[in-house]
Amino acid sequence: MQPQPQDLLHLATQKCTLGCAILDRVLVGGIPCNSITEIVSESGCGKTQLCLQLLLTAQLPISRGGLSSSSLYFHSEFPFPSRRLHQLSLSFPTSQENPNPLDRIFVRGVQSAEELLGLLDRIDTIIVNPPSNVPVKLVVIDSIAALFRSEFDNTPSDLKRRSGLFFKIAAKLKLKAEKFGLAVLVTNQVVDLMGSDNGINGMRIGNSSCLLTSGRRVCPALGLSWANCVNSRLFLSRTEEIVVTREQRGSEETNEDVVITQRRLQVVFAPHLPKASCEFVIVRKGVFGLEL
Amino acid sequence: MEVCALPLSPSQRSKLISSGYTKISSLLSVSPIDLARDISVSHNEAVEILNVANQSGRFDKSDPKQWIVSGAQTAWDILYEEDFAPHITTSCGDLDNILGGGINCKEVTEIGGVPGIGKTQLGIQLAVNVQIPIDCGGLGGKAIYIDTEGSFMVERVFQIAKSCVEDIMENHNFQHTDFQACKEKLQPNSFLANIFYFRICSYTEQIAVINYLEKFISEHKDVKIVIIDSVTFHFRQDFDDMALRTRVLSGMALKLMKLAKKFSLAVILLNQVTTKFTEGSFQLTLALGDSWSHACTNRVILYWNGNERYAYIEKSPSLRSASAPYSVTSKGIRDATSHCKRTRMM
Repeated sequence: MQPQPQDLLHLATQKCTLGCAILDRVLVGGIPCNSITEIVSESGCGKTQLCLQLLLTAQLPISRGGLSSSSLYFHSEFPFPSRRLHQLSLSFPTSQENPNPLDRIFVRGVQSAEELLGLLDRIDTIIVNPPSNVPVKLVVIDSIAALFRSEFDNTPSDLKRRSGLFFKIAAKLKLKAEKFGLAVLVTNQVVDLMGSDNGINGMRIGNSSCLLTSGRRVCPALGLSWANCVNSRLFLSRTEEIVVTREQRGSEETNEDVVITQRRLQVVFAPHLPKASCEFVIVRKGVFGLEL
Repeated sequence: MEVCALPLSPSQRSKLISSGYTKISSLLSVSPIDLARDISVSHNEAVEILNVANQSGRFDKSDPKQWIVSGAQTAWDILYEEDFAPHITTSCGDLDNILGGGINCKEVTEIGGVPGIGKTQLGIQLAVNVQIPIDCGGLGGKAIYIDTEGSFMVERVFQIAKSCVEDIMENHNFQHTDFQACKEKLQPNSFLANIFYFRICSYTEQIAVINYLEKFISEHKDVKIVIIDSVTFHFRQDFDDMALRTRVLSGMALKLMKLAKKFSLAVILLNQVTTKFTEGSFQLTLALGDSWSHACTNRVILYWNGNERYAYIEKSPSLRSASAPYSVTSKGIRDATSHCKRTRMM
């Protein structure tokens, strides 16, 4: 069989909405299919929230920006937040004919990178023919970093084995993404940058010279070789501002400290996106961008 | 003409002479089987000797440059050809300057840098720019884009192609009638149609496509650039045998080099960076190891300098090492913004 070039005129990239017009505007339509998108942030910024929301929006019909699909969720951080997912599912009515959106979400825990690699070899059936009878178009891995941060030593041989695994997992994900038109979303943690020097971790990758969250300089975990494996990288950050407000309670005046958390989503790099960012909030109904 | 004049090994020559084959003309009528028997060599060797004799028999003695090896050129001819070899613009003036006018056809150029520096953007820009019509100072060629990473986004190609068309329209002085004709021809969609896009998901596929390129290009002679984005990705997994990897890679490099020469097209290899542990510290270097660094004619490294993107020529037989700023804009690769301000002030 001879390789054939693909026709670019009929090769528009499908995207999965985030369920919020402002966030979608930053990502020009949402999370793209046929490639790997990574969300990086420290814990408590909203990675998992965004992932859960996407599991629901992927079920939206294509006319509403979704993929009209089921989704697959690998989690390496336990336990799986099923109550929050249920809560979100109430605020994201997906479609009339599907009263229970949770039926279209398949969840699997993974403990190690090897296990994930083994699972990826066997997911073809569930992608094409899942129990819900709606093919899977979204695969989420939350988080990739947790799989790698414990069992590897900081020795040259372990690091080499680790980066070999990165490329294997990424290649397999990209293969499936291309074969089935999947949107692949992975989450990653951050590590703190120590000292003021621009060592190998302080090397600039992407649009901003440094990534700040909670007032600390951080960089995405798993290093440079993993950065080579993803197509797009998004960064979520938060800053806490203490605002003193005067409040009147009855007759006495008190000073009360109110902590306001500002959250921001920014594009670190992506082949199709310019440098962009927006603020967002996490509320009971989900993750939403803020118009400024 | 004497047999001594043929480019043969001394032992073959002496065998021929001692068996009575002193003139080339005497070799032209003999069959390989007879010759093998007469001078007691293998059949294959006899065929080879006859081939050499046949070729030299055809040579015109007045053209001495063909005497030694057929197909050889003098340095003068090569220089003449190089002077007229077309260049593909990068859409960034400074970058074109340090590259001697743009990406050179007939050469393999490797471009590497950290994620997000603009390797894919530059690749897409070149795939578009190679199509600028000849009347407008381009090559009017087509492009082959081999995508191993999945970072090639059609919407981005469309955006860059659209800006490219706008720039051509703006900078070119058309006669009124030309303008209409050109406008119809220059559509972003036709730019998309002239990029042959291959999506590769394993290194075996990558090798297969590269082997197939020669046939493909001989059917599509107007292909003027081959871009591989990236050459590295599939070679950084599953290779426990590093010696095998080196052999596969250098075989691939030779094939690409040959394509570049044969069809006088530019080959662009995008590469990732990795860290190398030397003398107690980590250094950034292009991936695939030291032996790979011999595989390309030119090597360009993209890096951050403060808030600006820079390109640096690390290796080139004809260009001096230099660096230049560039920027990635919504229109594609362009001059660095600070540079524009500087020239405007002057």
